[in-house]
Amino acid sequence: MSIDGMLTILMYALAPFKWLLIMGLIVIIALHLLTYLRGYKITHHRSRLTNLLALLIGLTAILWVPWLTHSTLGYVATVFDWIALLGAATATSVIAFIILHPLSYLISFRDKE
Amino acid sequence: MQKSPLLTRRELLKVGSGLSVGSLLPFSGLSASTLRTQAHIVIVGGGAAGMAMVNRLARRLQGGTITLVEPRETHHYQPGWTMVASGIWAAEKTMRLNAQFLPRGVKWLRDYADSIDADSKRITLVGGETLEYDFLIVASGIQLNYHLIDGMTPALVGQHGIGSVYAGIEGASRTNQAIQTWLQSGHGRGIFTAAPTPVKCAGAPLKMTFTTLSRLEDTGRRDAFDVDYMAPGASLFSQPWVDEFVKQRFDSQGVNRRHHYRLSAIDPQAKQAEFAFVGPESEFTSHHQLREAEFRRDDQPTVIADYDFLHVVPPMSAHDFVKQSALIAQDGPFRGEWLDVDIHTLQHNRYPEVFGIGDVIGAPINKTAASVKAQAPVVEGNLLAVMQGNALPASHSGYTSCPMITGIGKAMLVEFGYADNFAFMPSFPFIDPTEESWAVWVMKDRMLQPAYYAVLEGKA
Ligand SMILES: Cc1cc2nc3c(=O)[nH]c(=O)nc-3n(C[C@H](O)[C@H](O)[C@H](O)COP(=O)(O)OP(=O)(O)OC[C@H]3O[C@@H](n4cnc5c(N)ncnc54)[C@H](O)[C@@H]3O)c2cc1C
Repeated sequence: MSIDGMLTILMYALAPFKWLLIMGLIVIIALHLLTYLRGYKITHHRSRLTNLLALLIGLTAILWVPWLTHSTLGYVATVFDWIALLGAATATSVIAFIILHPLSYLISFRDKE
Repeated sequence: MQKSPLLTRRELLKVGSGLSVGSLLPFSGLSASTLRTQAHIVIVGGGAAGMAMVNRLARRLQGGTITLVEPRETHHYQPGWTMVASGIWAAEKTMRLNAQFLPRGVKWLRDYADSIDADSKRITLVGGETLEYDFLIVASGIQLNYHLIDGMTPALVGQHGIGSVYAGIEGASRTNQAIQTWLQSGHGRGIFTAAPTPVKCAGAPLKMTFTTLSRLEDTGRRDAFDVDYMAPGASLFSQPWVDEFVKQRFDSQGVNRRHHYRLSAIDPQAKQAEFAFVGPESEFTSHHQLREAEFRRDDQPTVIADYDFLHVVPPMSAHDFVKQSALIAQDGPFRGEWLDVDIHTLQHNRYPEVFGIGDVIGAPINKTAASVKAQAPVVEGNLLAVMQGNALPASHSGYTSCPMITGIGKAMLVEFGYADNFAFMPSFPFIDPTEESWAVWVMKDRMLQPAYYAVLEGKA
């Protein structure tokens, strides 16, 4: 399949979530901008609690992602199923981290002030 | 009238006065460039197949005229009807405007084709307009012959416990309501049927049975419901491995299978269905060929069954206007019922300027949107070759696919083709067609509709 074909499929697949994605992006960019202006750098700030929380949120995805797709965890059966589900859980963890990490910096920044 | 499968030089010159070839590559998918022509190409039917061809040809041809004959404003994503009838999707999710997919420069006639005169290359529309074509693509899909079941009309779907996933999007919604009503009644007998003719998406009657079984199990009172599956032939599905799998699964899920019965009549008020016993020697599959004339046979013994829910699968054929034209198969298994094309090149067997694509063609398998995806580049490549007087470069493998839903939330990606008794043709090495999978279900639920729209746009 051509790149054009793949992009067309992706565009149709994401279309129902267009506004959700746009809003999510705006929130993440705004958060990062706000914290950046207060000295936040992703590589410098350390927060164990954030890491743990992001991991836990990712793990919960194993339960709610099948439900979100009108299915259940019981039907996640093949190797490919598990790879796909763990991929979804990892992506959820990463997104949770991207949101929680600057937030935790903001909170510690406020506490220091 | 018999014609040679290649166009004569005179015919070529007529369509292509100035038919200059703009560095047309041999069949090579999307990388091919354009062909300058003055030909008039008519595409009858703007469903999955017709719309895919309109978009592909609009990109490949310069100077010619492409006319699409399609009566409907709304495009229906039919593979979604199973999801609607199973209570998973909202009906709106399956509908879009046809105009959204139509490329610029294509003439769209919003009318039904009424007749085709293949010898004089002329189509008459219901509104009276006449079109002359140089090349014709027949993509008018399937006719649902509910009238061959005595007492049955599509208007009954949703009433008296009758469902039919095939009866359009309203029919799919009403089928869901009929199932819901049956579930709420807390008990009773559901009869699922199959048709004694080829049908579009031969897996759909099975999928409807499996999703309803999921819903019955969810009530927590599965034992209060009886489920019967009445099949006209010995098999339930054309792919042998899947056929055996479905039979075993039905047995283990308490579905009473009865073979060699076809639904012949219904009495909606009495909630009774009549089944004609078609004989144990009948090797009907979902893709066998029963002709309309053979439906009313008095010598067939019948049984009457009471039902609380009945899933009706109507006999199917090409539309009457195709059946009444010279384009219909004259002999062989598809005689009188389906378009007469070469199942590999998709060119008409007697009229070389005519191609067929999609559900309308006479082929042993293939009435799926997945087949349309595989057929569209073949028709594109071969039509352009015919327009230049070249040999046909492309061949269809018979590829077809059916995400066989085996319960709400799981499915198997069944892909196969003509070769080796419908052997599997998996697209993804990491998906085993014999395994039930959540990821395949997600594909069906989330990814196939986007892929289908890409096919319509001629990009997949
Ligand atoms: C319940 C159900 C479930 C399905 N599930 C799947 C699935 O899971 N996977 C899959 O791949 N496929 C599935 N399919 C099959 C798939 O939808 C069809 O194979 C596909 O739509 C065929 O495309 P087509 O263009 O040949 O026919 P259609 O898409 O039906 O288009 C035919 C077009 O011709 C037009 N037409 C009709 N009569 C005339 C006339 N006289 N003049 C002009 N135009 C006319 C119609 O308006 C229509 O737009 C399913 C189908 C159904 C009904």
